[in-house]
Amino acid sequence: MNNPLTPDDIRQTVLRLLGEIAPEADLTALKPGVSFRDQLDIDSMDFLNFVIMIHKTFGVEIAEADYPKYGTLNGCVEQLSEPQ
Amino acid sequence: MRQTIAAAMARSKREIPHYYLSTTIDMGRALTWITEENLKRPVTDRLLYGVLLIKAVALALREVPELNALWKESTAVQNPDIHVGVAVSLRQGGLIAPAIHNTDKQSLGELMSRFQDVVKRARAGTLRSSELSDPTITVTSLGEQGVETVFGVIYPPQVALVGFGKVVERPWIIEGRVVSRPVVTASLSADHRVTDGHRGGVFLSTVDRLLQEPGQL
Repeated sequence: MNNPLTPDDIRQTVLRLLGEIAPEADLTALKPGVSFRDQLDIDSMDFLNFVIMIHKTFGVEIAEADYPKYGTLNGCVEQLSEPQ
Repeated sequence: MRQTIAAAMARSKREIPHYYLSTTIDMGRALTWITEENLKRPVTDRLLYGVLLIKAVALALREVPELNALWKESTAVQNPDIHVGVAVSLRQGGLIAPAIHNTDKQSLGELMSRFQDVVKRARAGTLRSSELSDPTITVTSLGEQGVETVFGVIYPPQVALVGFGKVVERPWIIEGRVVSRPVVTASLSADHRVTDGHRGGVFLSTVDRLLQEPGQL
């Protein structure tokens, strides 16, 4: 089944989730190809919570080995644009 | 917040004769075990390796209970219960270490759930005051900041603090062969009025031994 969300829908949703994880962050300055961990004050607990939110929001299963693929905004859009 | 930390740390350094020990622990088995364990778990129930460290500290305190004590009126009073305080950095700056009560009695899954809960509430400012006053020891991990060794300041009236650094690949000798292993430096800051280096060393050795059998934690 094709994912009905556009890349921009996904991008906006991911940014909203990031905003819940790191409410102090200025996400307008986020570089889409650079690791979240290098730009935001988030730790492994934050990142795990982010992955859980992605899982619940988009209904995708995410193997632990695939966490790095969700480590950038571009990576999230790419992963979540693929047919599930 | 900063003033509270300043007062506590100044009191600690003024009153507590700290001693420091460290040891390097091979984390290969623990990391392999947690990777395999997480394969069996849904994303919502997965473990962070930090819970292995917290649980190992809690169980080691059963063997060296004098480190699980509070200094009260010129004497150390051992606590029959083990409430590990986990250091949590706050987004607006500062640090608090709420207790995970009865840490040694929690399964790793329960411990992970409580760890997530206290971190979330610490950052939301909704911890209960008892959660901040109940810890019987503090565990801090600065590995994610790239730190290799922690030389911690004890949070009075506690009598010990355990620090963990970053997991790094290092040459390691196993059965006479040099191999690359992921290792972490565990450190103990302890109150010399209460324990000495021998018991501190036993404690760190016990943490090491427990982490070599992660399935038993």
